[in-house]
Parts: sequence; structure tokens; C-alpha cells
Amino acid sequence: MSPKLPDGKAGQLVLMSAPWLFFIALIVLWELVCRIFELPAYVLPAPSAITAAFFEVEMSRWFTHLWATLRVALMGFAVSIAIALPIAIAMMRSELLNRTLYPLLVVIQSTPVVAVAPLIIVLMGSDDPSRVLITCLLTFFPLVVSTATGINETPPELIELSRSLDAPTRRETWQIRIPYAIPHIFSGLRVAITLAIIGAVVAEFVAAEEGLGYFIQFSTSFFRIPQAFAGLFFLAVVSLLLFKSVQWAQQLFFPWSLPKKKR
Amino acid sequence: MRKGFTRSVLIAASLAGGLMTQAALAADQVTYQLDWLPGGDKSPVYVGVQQGFFEDEGLEVSIASGRGSTDAITKIATGQADIGSADIGSLMAAKAQDDSLPVKAVYSIFNQAPHAFFTLEKNGISELTDIEGKEVATSPFTSSNAFLPLVLKENGMAEDAVNLTKADPGALGPMLMNGGTDAIIAWVTNIALFESQADATGNKLVVLPWSDAGLELYSSSVVASEAFLSERPDVAKRFMRAFDKALKFTSENPRAAAEDLHSMVPEVDVDVVTAQIDDTMELVINAVSERDGLGALTRERVALTWDWVAQAEKVEKDKLDPESIIDRTLLEAL
Repeated sequence: MSPKLPDGKAGQLVLMSAPWLFFIALIVLWELVCRIFELPAYVLPAPSAITAAFFEVEMSRWFTHLWATLRVALMGFAVSIAIALPIAIAMMRSELLNRTLYPLLVVIQSTPVVAVAPLIIVLMGSDDPSRVLITCLLTFFPLVVSTATGINETPPELIELSRSLDAPTRRETWQIRIPYAIPHIFSGLRVAITLAIIGAVVAEFVAAEEGLGYFIQFSTSFFRIPQAFAGLFFLAVVSLLLFKSVQWAQQLFFPWSLPKKKR
Repeated sequence: MRKGFTRSVLIAASLAGGLMTQAALAADQVTYQLDWLPGGDKSPVYVGVQQGFFEDEGLEVSIASGRGSTDAITKIATGQADIGSADIGSLMAAKAQDDSLPVKAVYSIFNQAPHAFFTLEKNGISELTDIEGKEVATSPFTSSNAFLPLVLKENGMAEDAVNLTKADPGALGPMLMNGGTDAIIAWVTNIALFESQADATGNKLVVLPWSDAGLELYSSSVVASEAFLSERPDVAKRFMRAFDKALKFTSENPRAAAEDLHSMVPEVDVDVVTAQIDDTMELVINAVSERDGLGALTRERVALTWDWVAQAEKVEKDKLDPESIIDRTLLEAL
């Protein structure tokens, strides 16, 4: 039996507000648990304490930290796209490259970045380039895989048709394969953008003077748990917004690549 | 190398442009590496910047935060920083492993061990020997862990006389207050922070410093890269002079020092940092500094420190001549 969806305008409203109501209920429950059991702030701070801690920090400081994290995450994201798409295309075109590169990519992906990050900092210094590299190590693999999958899933009839018309490989790639890969590329991008934030935070945990990850670490070093939670929530919101932005970009530039009801 | 490049580009640019003032040209750049995040115990270098002690010596000092002593030593060794703070025991242990490490200790900040047991009055641990058979929590990577068996042995207990569990440093205080453990191992520089947690739960904190239990050694020290000491000896001397001044200023004016730190790191709370400085200064200005002088690295105490470190790290004592990691030229030039 398929789940029963509410119908009509009222039903739509319920559907729209359900996630928010659920979220608010969770927060209220959390606040209640903290108050009823009198949990100290350093065990689990109540949402009210976290909100208060958030506003205790000056807005300009929040933006300094936000910008530091965002800058690294976006740079890493951009560099990943610049590397991953050509690699995926090259791997699709050449079986030799595919066989040589793929194992290496898997090795890079299976190496825990947290373990490699300190080594990268020692090798490359504690400036932006090493932080961007750490971010890239996390983000580019899902992009390569999703792009390569998309390119390979192009209907063979279309490829045959284009070959029978003697279309050059360049046109086959750009006009048939890439457009078919767009939905896959975007699902890769959505994964990658959240990983970019994680990458930036990992880098900040190893070496940084500012950034939201640094701020959280710094707050815990002073046992200011509510403040650390505030940083964590801010980070989650930013991550969510970036995730949404990728969706919006897809809706704006490639509406045809979305299922009909999501356009 | 990269830093040298940046510096030469800067100099070239200023020469070509002729725009920079004489003073800016004359200021020597120094990068100071902390071994942890900014806090009360790290405030002297911030004081040096804010009170103009470095500027008076013609220095422009930038400060980088670190993630532990080995991190700081590595960054200084690889030239990412010129000078910084690190545990002298970590430097000794590292040097015993790899003789070529180009880092030297030049000035002692803590002349006492900062490690201590923290417990609550109700747990019935009022002196060190009461710890036998108790649950003790510590953080996984603190240098304290290596000294624990020695401290227990020194006080007539077996090396495994306590039940040790490891937890994130941020979780230790809560564990103690909740009754999740009988005692924790932490640094005396954080007494005020734990005290506020104890107050909040209606408890009374008891601190048992290991320095009272026979652990006599140098701890946090100023360490510098050999390249910095040999290539820019004059800059190094001026730096040390200003740092020494800043350390004295910090001990005499803890609140002003806390405000200096706050103005460079707005996230820190002036009250908390002032309390941290008060706690920290016990390790800096005490009977030892009275006898040997501030910052001193005496032969006897350096040897004593290596005795403890070698035992703690389970290294042969003759693996390292502790004098080989010391450079006293900056101390002598004070």
C-alpha cells in the first residue's frame, strides 16, 4: 500500500509545513528535556542557551568566521569541478586512462582525509592552498564518479545515430553525452558541496586562525559548549543553504534536466 | 623557502615603489608559533604586540595557533614559523628520535610541571596516595599520560594503580561533575575553568598538582629554529628581550594582559583569561624562578627534565645529551 497523501489545498499546506512543524517540535522537546532533567549546559545545552550564546558573539565575528570557511569550501568546490569533469570525460574516452586512473582515485577516496590533513599542512604550509587541497580530496571523487556514470548512461542508440551521421567526438561529447550526464553531475555536485564544507572544517581543525570549524574547536577549548553548538548550527545552516543553491542553479540553468514536477 | 620568497618580493616591491616608510622597511618580520589555541597561558606574546614591546625592538610579530607541541615543533622545524612555544619534553623526545631536528629550546616559560589530578571534595581524594584504585579520566594525546606511571611510582603505588579511561579534553570536566569518573588529569592552567563548572553543580574542586608529588621539570618553553638563531641572531635577541618584558608585564598586570589578548582574539572572555593567567603564573614565577631567574634553563634542571622525559617516553637515557637541545645565547643577551 502506498502512503496516503493528503489532497486539496489543506493537504498541500500540511505537506509544506510538516518538516517545519517536526523541526519545531524537536526543538521544544529538546528544551523541555534540558529543563526537566536540569541538564548542565556543558552536558547538553538547551536551545535557548545556544541561541543566547549565538547572540553573545558579535555579528562581525560570525561573518569573519563564516567567510573564512566559505572561501575555502567554495574554492575547493570550484577546483574540484575544474579537475573532476575533464578527468571523467577523459576516462570515458580512453579505456587505458580509465584503468590507470580509477584505482588511484579509489585509493585517494579511501584514505581518511583527517589522517592526511596534518601531513598536507606540514608539506604545503598552513595557508589557503593546503586547505583547498584538503577540501578537494573530499569533493572531487563523488564528482568524477557521478559524471562518469552519467556520461556512460547515454542511450547507445543516440551514440550510434551520431556516429552514423559522422559527428566528431567533440560534438558527441558536448551535445549528447554531457547533456545526458547533467542530472548525474548535479547529484554529484549536491554531495560535493556539503563535503566541501566538511573539508574546510577538517582543514581548520588542523591549522587555521579563523573559520567556523576553528571557532567550534576554540569554544570547546574554553569549555563553552553552548557557543560551540551555536557554531555547529550556523555551520549546518550554511551547508543547507549551499545544498539548496546547487538545486536552484540546476532549476535556473538546466530546468529540462529535472523531473517534470520539480521544475 | 616560500617565506623567504615572500619577504624578498615585499622588499623588492617596497624598494621599487619607494612608497613604504622607513619604519616599515626596518621592521623585521617574525612568526611566532603557539602550541595550542590562544588562551590565558599564551597571552605574553599578545601582550608583546599590543603593548608595543616588539615594535620598540623593531619587530613585526605575527602569531599562528597550533595543535599541540609536536605540531608547533614541526612547523618551526619546517620553517613555517621562526620561534614559538612548545613543551621542552616533547622537543627532547623528538630530538632523541631524530637527531637532525633543527630546533632548540631558548627560554623556559613553565619551570614546573603543569599536570595535576582534579577531583571533587566529596570523592574523598585529599592527597595523592588516595588516588589508588580510583577511576581516572584523561585526554588521549596529552603529555601528562606519559608521566602518570612515574608519578604513581614516585608515590609508592603500582604503575597501573588507577583505572584509566580516555576521553575528549572537552568532556573531562563534565565527566568529573557528573560522577562519571572519580578524578581527571588536566593542567593547572585551567583551574578556574573547572572551578566554575564545579560551582555550577554545587561541588568543591580539589587540585593535586604533580609538581608537589616530586615531578620537578621544565615544561612549556620558547623554542626556535636553528636557522632563525644562526641567520638572524640579532632579530632573535631582540625578540627574546621583548618577550621577556611581555612575560613580566603579564604576571604583574593579568587583567591588562587579558584585555590585550581579547583585542586580538575577540572570542576570549577577559574574566576567564585573567583567571587563567593567575593560575598559569604559578608555573612561571615561583621559588624556582626566584632562585634561577625568569626564563632560565639551568644545566641541573635540564638534566632532571630529561631524566623524567626519558623514563616517561621509555627511551634510553644516553640517546640524547639534553644540553644539545639548549641554546642559551638569547638568555645571556637579555
